[in-house]
Amino acid sequence: MSANQKQTAMQSQKLMIFVLSMSLYGLATLFTELIPKFQVGLVEFSVEYFLFIPLVLAMLFDPLSAALGAATGELVFSEIMLGQFGGLGELEKFLTVTIGVYLAGRMVRNPKNRALVGAAAFLGTAAQLFMGMVVDILKVQFAVEDFEAVAGLPESVFFTEGFAFLNDLLFSGILFCLLPTLYLVPRLYGKIEPLLGMRPRTAENSLGKISLKTIVVCLAFFACAAAAELLASSGMELIDWEASWAESGTAMAVGIAAAAILALAVLAVLKKRAASIDKAVERP
Amino acid sequence: MSKWMQKLSENILDKFSMDFLRSQVLKNAYGNDDTVIAGLDPRILLAWYLFFAIVPWFADDIPFLLGCFLLVMVTTVLARVAGLVLFLFVLGIFTQTGYLLIFTLLFGGDASSVAPLLVLTLKVATVSLASVTVFSGLDPDRLSNGLMWYGCPERLSFSISYAYRMLPILMEEFQNVLLSYRLRGNPPAHDTAAGKIRYLVYQVRIIIQSFYPLMLNTAKRSRTTVEALELRGYRYAQSSRQVRRMKLASLKVTLNDLIFLTASILWTAVSILASGLI
Repeated sequence: MSANQKQTAMQSQKLMIFVLSMSLYGLATLFTELIPKFQVGLVEFSVEYFLFIPLVLAMLFDPLSAALGAATGELVFSEIMLGQFGGLGELEKFLTVTIGVYLAGRMVRNPKNRALVGAAAFLGTAAQLFMGMVVDILKVQFAVEDFEAVAGLPESVFFTEGFAFLNDLLFSGILFCLLPTLYLVPRLYGKIEPLLGMRPRTAENSLGKISLKTIVVCLAFFACAAAAELLASSGMELIDWEASWAESGTAMAVGIAAAAILALAVLAVLKKRAASIDKAVERP
Repeated sequence: MSKWMQKLSENILDKFSMDFLRSQVLKNAYGNDDTVIAGLDPRILLAWYLFFAIVPWFADDIPFLLGCFLLVMVTTVLARVAGLVLFLFVLGIFTQTGYLLIFTLLFGGDASSVAPLLVLTLKVATVSLASVTVFSGLDPDRLSNGLMWYGCPERLSFSISYAYRMLPILMEEFQNVLLSYRLRGNPPAHDTAAGKIRYLVYQVRIIIQSFYPLMLNTAKRSRTTVEALELRGYRYAQSSRQVRRMKLASLKVTLNDLIFLTASILWTAVSILASGLI
């Protein structure tokens, strides 16, 4: 393997990075899910972002595997394992985390360059939070008809969302993403790569600069995320459809209920029979 | 009073130790594989979940929502979900809409102002209880098989099985690393307010520092895992149809599943009927 070869890890190494990122970030989000948040006035202090873990891994290894692993880890450990799976709405977080971590990982061409590492960590977090903010604002805009007509509503939504964004970025972004990343990347660089049988990333073998294509693909995925979230929260608008269905539904409901009772009776008889057959088989 | 407060906070802190969290998570994952819900076919349960995760959002009348809520409450009891998960559920409901409901009731809100809040609370509660039933009532292996049958990526079902198996080990390791850092450290005094903040900063710093050895250890472990998987031909199995069929052969729809399904349909139909009559 020549030193000039690009850092496009082999399939099995990608899987290793995926597993590593998934288990570590999953563990961290599991804890944050269990720690209550506390709020002082408008400012919310939550230890929500252990985002430094996937950020560090994305800067040292293949960024896409690390990003996907982190998003999957969060989904599996903190949502599915605790039974808090929110359905389609989870897709938004999955995609924004992936995009943020991936961009940060792609930015760093040489992990020894501390300034670049810091900037990438900060920008990756900012990208993730910014996308979340845009989705939230869009949600309100679509949910409330005549968004512009209600006096003061646009301003207040922009203000509260913008404030939450800045607060998260300055509090979680600096304390829980920037500083830990700056601490961990130089320490792990050159130590953790051999454990996975890989070469440390240098300016020569990195994936290269972020191209226009990368940004376009990221934007496309972000559009998917926003669409999923809007779809998930637009339940309220379809009440009209439901109302007409409920009126004519009484007769249908009676039919369904009768059919269900009949089916239950048949099933109960079948089950009893099956049990007696089982017994008969066991006896001789 | 202050003594009492201290006792209370100690009690709560005792409850929320690392061991408690670990045991609760483990109990949730493995402690209930002999329940009625765990014995059901995962495909049926996932379809059932899809209904109760989507339909309540579109429904608007209280009797129907109440019926759905009662049904998922019964299934949650049947699934014997761990206490911590239920606590998180109640906390989630309360912080989302429940507190508004209680305040409105306390300050003499009439029926017209309570009804929309009640509807919203019931919707949120039904949807999250349905997910609690399915995702923590089911065995992880059965859950991942069910997801695979519906065509979810193989990576996801692998991640679920892996996460459930690895979590106890990971948690124990994290705890050990954290304890060794604590043993070597010297925490600042925390009687004054400034000291308390310094203590908090110290704790957070230790947690972040302990990720350094943890990352190295987990890197070694994930290499071992992946190499073991490769030896067994995991990546080939991922795309092979035959392996998929073999894996899914264990899924069988039994009479119990049909009874569960029809009972749910009956109950839903009755609650639609009730909302039509009222």
